[in-house]
Amino acid sequence: MSGPRLRLQQLRLHLRPRLPTRSATPALPAGALAAPPRVGRSLLSLSVALAVAYTALAGGLAYWQVVQAQALTADPLNPLTLAAARSAPRGTIYDVNGVVLASNVRGPNGERLRQYSYSIAAPVVGYASPIFGTAALERTYDAQLTGLVSLRPGDELLRKFRGQPYDPSDLHLSLDIALQRVAADLLEGQTGAIVAIEPTSGRVLALVSSPTYNPNRVVDPDEGRPYMASLQARDDSPLLDRATQGLYVPGSVFKIVTSIAGLDSGSITPATTYENQPTEYETGYLVDGFRIHDFPRDVQTDHPLDYYEALEVSSNIWFAHAGLDTGGANLQAWAARLGFGARIPFDLPSSPSQVTGGGGALDGFRDRVELANAAYGQAEVLVSPLQMALVAATIADNGTLMRPSLVDSLTSSDGSVTTLSPQTWTQVCSLETAQIIGDAMQQAVEGQFAFAGAAKVPGVPTAGKSGTAEIGPDAAPHSWFIGFAPADAPRIAVAVIVEGGGLGSQRAVPMAGRLMSAYLGVSR
Amino acid sequence: MTLALYRAGIRPRPRWRELRLLLVVGAALVVGWISLESFRSGQIGPGNISLLAVYLGALALIHVAFVVSGRRMDEILFPTAALLAGISLLLMNRLPQDLVVQSVAGTELPLGPLQLVWILLGFTLLAVSAVFVRSDGWLRRYKYTWAAAGIALLLLVFAFGSVVGGARLTLHIGPFAGQPSELLKVILVVFLAGYLAENRALLASSSTRVGTFTFPPLPYLLPMLAMWGLALAIVIVQRDLGAALLYFLVFLALLYVATRRISYVLFGIVLFLVGGALLYVLFTHVQDRIDIWINPFTDPQGAGYQVIRALYAYGRGGILGTGLGAGLPSVGDVPSIPAIHTDFVFAALAEELGMLGALAILGLYLVIAERGFRIAAAATDDFRALLATGLTLVIVVQAAIIAGGNLRVLPLTGVTLPFISYGGSSLLVNGAVIGLLLALSDRGIEHKAPDARSNVVVRAAQRARAVGGRIEEAIS
Amino acid sequence: MDVFTLSLWALRLGFVLLIYVFFFFVARALWRDLRVGVAGAGRPLARLLVVGSPEGRPQAGTSISLDAVNSMGRDVNNSIVLDDSFVSSEHALLTFRGRAWYVEDRGSTNGTWLNGQRIEGLAPLGYGDEVQVGQVRMRLERPRQE
Repeated sequence: MSGPRLRLQQLRLHLRPRLPTRSATPALPAGALAAPPRVGRSLLSLSVALAVAYTALAGGLAYWQVVQAQALTADPLNPLTLAAARSAPRGTIYDVNGVVLASNVRGPNGERLRQYSYSIAAPVVGYASPIFGTAALERTYDAQLTGLVSLRPGDELLRKFRGQPYDPSDLHLSLDIALQRVAADLLEGQTGAIVAIEPTSGRVLALVSSPTYNPNRVVDPDEGRPYMASLQARDDSPLLDRATQGLYVPGSVFKIVTSIAGLDSGSITPATTYENQPTEYETGYLVDGFRIHDFPRDVQTDHPLDYYEALEVSSNIWFAHAGLDTGGANLQAWAARLGFGARIPFDLPSSPSQVTGGGGALDGFRDRVELANAAYGQAEVLVSPLQMALVAATIADNGTLMRPSLVDSLTSSDGSVTTLSPQTWTQVCSLETAQIIGDAMQQAVEGQFAFAGAAKVPGVPTAGKSGTAEIGPDAAPHSWFIGFAPADAPRIAVAVIVEGGGLGSQRAVPMAGRLMSAYLGVSR
Repeated sequence: MTLALYRAGIRPRPRWRELRLLLVVGAALVVGWISLESFRSGQIGPGNISLLAVYLGALALIHVAFVVSGRRMDEILFPTAALLAGISLLLMNRLPQDLVVQSVAGTELPLGPLQLVWILLGFTLLAVSAVFVRSDGWLRRYKYTWAAAGIALLLLVFAFGSVVGGARLTLHIGPFAGQPSELLKVILVVFLAGYLAENRALLASSSTRVGTFTFPPLPYLLPMLAMWGLALAIVIVQRDLGAALLYFLVFLALLYVATRRISYVLFGIVLFLVGGALLYVLFTHVQDRIDIWINPFTDPQGAGYQVIRALYAYGRGGILGTGLGAGLPSVGDVPSIPAIHTDFVFAALAEELGMLGALAILGLYLVIAERGFRIAAAATDDFRALLATGLTLVIVVQAAIIAGGNLRVLPLTGVTLPFISYGGSSLLVNGAVIGLLLALSDRGIEHKAPDARSNVVVRAAQRARAVGGRIEEAIS
Repeated sequence: MDVFTLSLWALRLGFVLLIYVFFFFVARALWRDLRVGVAGAGRPLARLLVVGSPEGRPQAGTSISLDAVNSMGRDVNNSIVLDDSFVSSEHALLTFRGRAWYVEDRGSTNGTWLNGQRIEGLAPLGYGDEVQVGQVRMRLERPRQE
């Protein structure tokens, strides 16, 4: 057996195994150089270097995937939200009565599109477009609507183990689409804004900006671009949310702010009168060379007006005196408590309102002329309609300013509800101050000589203040009204502005009356 | 059966470790495949598993070939490479399939099957070089020939290469397109191993002193300067920062291993910094890379786009990952990160497998490093030791360069992640590298080619040797 | 959390887990290599598995534990006695020298064969290599794990 195999193996002749030699090709005579170092030890150092390099890589991984993971996911440039919008349905947006404002449909090519039931809600709801991104509530609550961010801690980890990686939440708004419809109809064909707030909670009931746009056309994949271009080309800026971002000269409605500052600082009292005021009605009140006039009226020109009368007939001269007595510092301090000078903490972006352009020698005001004019809402006072609605709501809520809000609650896909409860923002003034001003505002609507009588809600005590904001010698003034009803137990506070609407009493006031009547269920 | 094999001079040698590891690899890939297909179809099931089945069959065949060959080779390298390539197969099947579509033999192959074809070709090369390379003489003797071939290749690319993505990397020969820089890295290692093995005694002995630093005789420093020049040339002409960095790092490492002199490394680093500064000042594409690295957010929609997208992918992946198929690349048919199947494949893996998975992949490269260095340490002479070290380094350092680029640990440079990125050149060359390492790990391998070959082979080899010899004479 | 999602995550984590199982096996292999390298006295360094023995002394399938120095031959004084008619009395020496095994022919009549090649003098061998002494074919194996 073994013999033949051995011979077979012997036939296959191979080289003898050679023992390894260290140097394959000696280049120099042996002994000329010291033996080169062994390779093994260098390899050990090299391994250490590699280990260090790979540890650095592992460190990089840990940094991005653990330390920075949350920050990266929340980054606004992150395309995840866009991706989520395509792969997962967005949460539905409902009004206060459960009416659908925004939902999802399939587009012509099977892609998910947003559908908006009411164009009039566009300033509030906004749009979510794959081309233009998001706006308004669709932007503010983008993460919740797509379900990338949950309000509940711990969900972030749990979500991984769900079938649906996203957890879109539905939004339930405080907005009442019926009231929104009334407000929008009132503004139909005019440029302006209306804000209605529930004073005790800060919940926004209606927020209208006119003109507005059709969000369905914005999100349309084919029509979107030309439509957006046409919107941007228009002079009346339909994309601008005038209610939160429009800044207007307030005129007489600002007298409420002056009242708050003057009364709460003790600079004036309800009984304060100015002796020269009746004379000045005829001649004008001369402040450092500038003459302040009242609107012509045929009543109560014969005696020095007290606070109630001054507000009822909207005397600029009285409030110029009061403003100078109160002083620029106080005026600005109380205005700041109301939210002037800063972005309002709200679900929609807002432009900060201002009392003065600032930088002047007199507590920021340029001089006494500016201060006197600012006291009755001219000079460099600029306000947003939302800000003025908050002023009315503060008086209605006895001096407490509630943080304005649009979202009542969020419902996640598993049915759990996160309620956003009302929050107090600031205590602006004392209860007494608020009550005095409230009474005066009621008198300004219901009084014998009141300009704002048309705001009266039949059968319901109503308080308010009209305004006619001069914006130049040739331009028609802005027509303003702020107010609330019922005056004894306020349920709604409103601010109405019609750009170039003329006298406040003729345009904005009756609109506010109809709006409040509609909300309170009173037919006129 | 066994007897018949013995008669034919074949002695199968069981490779239990390799088999066990391959079984784990197979199990892992099958589980990964099912998780991917289940996510896609919405129900637990393997879907169409034929691609994976072909791959696992190929692994089994190669294992059998290794057993039958009876060679005493490393048993861990191949399963490691098999796991990496398997993960690549899963990933390429999961990415948008129309990223690459190529017509092979009349059929249009999309990304996944195409990658399988390349993997199979690469592994065939691996198996062939592991089983049949019985001698390293053809590598060791003709180092200058190899160097000349490498430089010729480089010149070809300089002259005829087409520019893809701002880098002149791709060479088209007839219907074939390839990236010669992948091949060049192996040629470079072969040359360096030969050169350093021959001259390392000289290089290691100090003879020139400048202050506290000692340098070898200047003529022997020329290769270092030449290497530096080569790297610069590649950056300038090819705009291939990654390859230049890889070559230079591998060169420095080999020089250190050969001489064990840290002063060389320091000198090399100084040269590197000088070169880097020079390039930064002179060339905008180098500037762009560095600027993006330092702050990608200055131009998030432009230059920094790729890097930022990768960062978002890490953030989304977190520790456990999104799971295969559930990452962002699946959204629509548009890849979320440009070049996700080549340069940014690591980011895609880190997103879907999470930090745990990405760490494991880094670990696999370290396993390759450990095995490669072990083979080098056990090598019977300097050439083999340096060759094994160099071959190991081209894989491991390249992986570190691109992973570092993906992770913003290093500036981003475009090289492939070995065995995982899509790409024929890369898979073929890396397969050959692992094959060579396996062949080197067999300590029984001959220093000379056996004579008993068929006449054709002998004559061809003789002719090649004659040509090579003439080139050698001409150069040295 | 439904069954599908749970199973999907089991699969996903299982995939990554199996990669770590791979590491475990690699680490175990490295650890064994190291341990064999530093194996202390009293522990067999390796074993010889008899794979072919026509005369049956020793029988095929026998496993012989190895020390650092093992002499092979027909003489009973050898540490490995191979009672085969083609084996010389002092036939070959199998030694472990630091990190590798070597086999050395001691001038036998029929020679010592390593993987089918007759050796002269000293030849290195590794696990899985086959040594033939006379008609007895033996394979070098790693020591058994106890």
